[in-house]
Amino acid sequence: MIHFYVIFAPSEALIASQLGPKDFGMYMAQGSKKGSAEQLMFAEIDGGFGEYFDWDHAEKRCVRHEDGRLKNSLYLSIYRVIEHTPLEAYKMVYLVTKDGRTLSLEKEEYQTPENWKGFGLYKELSPVHPLIVSSLNPKALADYIINGTTKKISVPALIFTDIKVIDFDDMQHSGNIGGMYDRNLDHLKACIASLQESDEKMTKTVDRSFDSKFTYQIIDNGIYIARDRSIIFFRMPSRELLKASAYDWGRSANIF
Amino acid sequence: MIGLVIIAALAALSFAAINFYGMKRRDPGTSEMQTIAEAIQEGADAFLKHEYSVIIKVVALISVLLLVVVSWTGAVAFLLGAFMSASAGWIGMNIATISNVRVSNEARTTKNIGKTLKVAFQGGSVMGLCVGGFALLGLAIIYLVFGVLLKQATPEYLTFHTNWLGISDIPFTMTVSSYALGCSIIAMFNRVGGGIFTKAADMGADLVGKTEAGIPEDDPRNPATIADNVGDNVGDVAGLGSDLLESYVGALVSAIILAAYTFFSNQHAADVITHRLIGKMIYFPLLVATVGLVSSMAGILYLLLKNVSKNPHKELNMATFVGAGLTIVSSGVVAWFTFSGEQVSSVGFNLGALSPWISAVFGIVSGIVIGQFAEYYTSYDYRPTQKIAAASQEGAALTITQGMSVGMLSVIAPVAILGLCIIAANSIAGLYGVSMAAIGMLSFVTVTVSVDTYGPIADNAGGISEMAKLHPDVREITDELDAVGNTTAAIGKGFAIGSAALAALSLFASYLYAQAGESAVNGIELILNMVNTLTLTGAMVGAALPYLFSGILIEAVANAARKMVQEVRRQFKEDPGIIQGTSRPDYKTCIAISSAGALSEMKYPALISVVTPLLSGFLFGAEFVGGLLIGTTLSSIMLALYTANAGGAWDNGKKYIEHGHYGGKGSDAHKAAVVGDTVGDPLKDTVGPSLDILIKIMSIVSLISVSIFSRYNLFSVLFK
Repeated sequence: MIHFYVIFAPSEALIASQLGPKDFGMYMAQGSKKGSAEQLMFAEIDGGFGEYFDWDHAEKRCVRHEDGRLKNSLYLSIYRVIEHTPLEAYKMVYLVTKDGRTLSLEKEEYQTPENWKGFGLYKELSPVHPLIVSSLNPKALADYIINGTTKKISVPALIFTDIKVIDFDDMQHSGNIGGMYDRNLDHLKACIASLQESDEKMTKTVDRSFDSKFTYQIIDNGIYIARDRSIIFFRMPSRELLKASAYDWGRSANIF
Repeated sequence: MIGLVIIAALAALSFAAINFYGMKRRDPGTSEMQTIAEAIQEGADAFLKHEYSVIIKVVALISVLLLVVVSWTGAVAFLLGAFMSASAGWIGMNIATISNVRVSNEARTTKNIGKTLKVAFQGGSVMGLCVGGFALLGLAIIYLVFGVLLKQATPEYLTFHTNWLGISDIPFTMTVSSYALGCSIIAMFNRVGGGIFTKAADMGADLVGKTEAGIPEDDPRNPATIADNVGDNVGDVAGLGSDLLESYVGALVSAIILAAYTFFSNQHAADVITHRLIGKMIYFPLLVATVGLVSSMAGILYLLLKNVSKNPHKELNMATFVGAGLTIVSSGVVAWFTFSGEQVSSVGFNLGALSPWISAVFGIVSGIVIGQFAEYYTSYDYRPTQKIAAASQEGAALTITQGMSVGMLSVIAPVAILGLCIIAANSIAGLYGVSMAAIGMLSFVTVTVSVDTYGPIADNAGGISEMAKLHPDVREITDELDAVGNTTAAIGKGFAIGSAALAALSLFASYLYAQAGESAVNGIELILNMVNTLTLTGAMVGAALPYLFSGILIEAVANAARKMVQEVRRQFKEDPGIIQGTSRPDYKTCIAISSAGALSEMKYPALISVVTPLLSGFLFGAEFVGGLLIGTTLSSIMLALYTANAGGAWDNGKKYIEHGHYGGKGSDAHKAAVVGDTVGDPLKDTVGPSLDILIKIMSIVSLISVSIFSRYNLFSVLFK
């Protein structure tokens, strides 16, 4: 059986594999020989749609090795993947830790986040990577970036996540959030303030990349995938749910 | 009287046996838990067997030397001390490796922290009872066989005797010193060997497994994780038990020796010490130890029999307070019945019959206050450790700097308290009072060691829970018990260092008596002439010695840790299935690396402690060694307090961040705090605890050999 995976962090790619999601996550995080370790996020999709990707190539080449081993990965694309992937094709999202443990997130109906503070902090995951602050809720933000008035600064599809916002004046009691707010907190505060002072400004870039500081600890509600005027949502389990059902993953992700 | 001492010691050992077999009967849990526990037990057993096979040669060599140079009684006492200390370490480590899985299973089956605490404490109590029981039993045998039957402790025999080499000493002081030396040698090897083992494994597991590969603590995919858990047993249990037994015996022996020398040096003084009084001064320390042992047993029973609440710190404190409170009351009664009606002013008891008891109470109170200071400087509930966590936001350099500052700041208060205790105890009951203060500090050592040992058992139980993939609630219970254990360990170290300082001062006074030799018969004013260039030079060298000793220890840890890091990297690289969870890591190679590192490196520090006073004595004479002892003692106390508190503060600073402060796990502050913790690890668990043994071994070796190198030394041959 061939699985199709869209990797959206750290970089964008469409990969065919005979491995199931957990084994694929382990393989991609740890490799078979490379001896390095990195966290990654990907989604499993239903393949076979459209003309853009070479599905026949996958059928032909994604086969067992001569010694009977499963084919780990066959790259079908390393560029403009999500813009050519319809939202209906997405099945599940997987968050893989540096040591190769995988957490699966299920697709849910989009809902405006509860406890909206008037602004949101968002990490764009693919195809661009900035950390931004916005006065828009996730759905409105996606619509603004994909279909906004300034077409010169837009993307055809977007995967992003909302970030936990803490009391910036009490870092001592920050909670287990990793290195998110370690540096340049004044700049972040200034970005939020400038957004709140202007009715016209919808977004403000806080950091152009921020990849090295992004950890699973700071995902607030979950992962959003938007294309055209639609959005789908993959909810991050609560701490209690993680403890009950994915404790090992939570420990590897520094949540426990 | 001696019968009561022996009965109490045997009762303690019987109680230990009951708890030992009671623990063995408990359910060890699932087959996976048992497999992990067996791997830990096998590793710990193998290391201790190897370690003891090395130690036995050193013990044999020293006993032959004592036989030739001192006396056969010294050699036998030395062997007995070594046997008692080794037995306590061995049994304690065994019960720890039996208890860990049962504690984990108790948490698994009951999900109740109070019940789990009881099981962990039952395991820890075996070690505590063995420390108290073996120490006292050995000393009681020495007193009965050599003191009473061979009459060494009778007043008529408390005088200088000359052996076949022409060397003069008071035989009973040599016998009890040799007993203490036997305990100290084993403690040194167990502390140093265990310390190197545990920290090499710990650092190897953390530096590669956690930092490089990103796998969590105690994850079975980490090749060094079993070695890390083995290290908890050989370092924190066997090492700690032998260390505290040595401290306990050292304190008791220092009082006995001092009493003997006080009697000898005042034989012709105006206010003559009666034979009956000196006899009482010699066995009074044993009586205090006896009531302390019985009181500690009551404290242990109190916790084991009651319905335990969900507050482990409070429950453990209550057990300690019961032991301490009963010890204070009962030792007061014993002091009254022992000394009332005696002419105690002749021995400098300025507050009557209760003088030595009041001194002991000063020791107990000082120990508690020093322990509270240790908690203040090392617990994350207080500002100093929180400041380290805050400094970690700015990077590892400031973590180290702030931790060093906390460690250095933490030295003055305990030293001031020790100073006040020394002055007060000396004012009330002379130098005998100072040694009684040391005994007071350790009089309820049985319950404090029980509390201290419970910590590593809980830590191991957490490791087993994690490796066996037990429910997160189980791990939360063992983690909470472990966190309490960290605080009790820091307090315990404060007691060990404080009592070592007091005992060393008493032994130093005995050294000056022994240096004066038979000429002290008409009374002697104990003076160490610091203007004497030999003494001053000795003090300078002595002050530098703990740094040499610590440097060797840290290098040994670093060497073994480096090999461990390389081995863990090799395993991850050569077998990707380890991280993927499809292959089992080679745990045994990691255990072998820690073992080899510890066994090859532990000899040099032990050698320094024994050889330095001998070598410097035969080269430069007794004045030099007097300075050496003072220099080493003062320098060691400061360094031990600094390393123990700085290391503890770095450790808990990291834990404070992990509890959700300054970004928590994965933050820059956490990365910096991990560096601080790694730097502090060998300081607090290898160097600090070994320094108090260093000063006692040097004091006892000097005391035993001073009569020899006073006569035969190169300096006097060349320049006098």
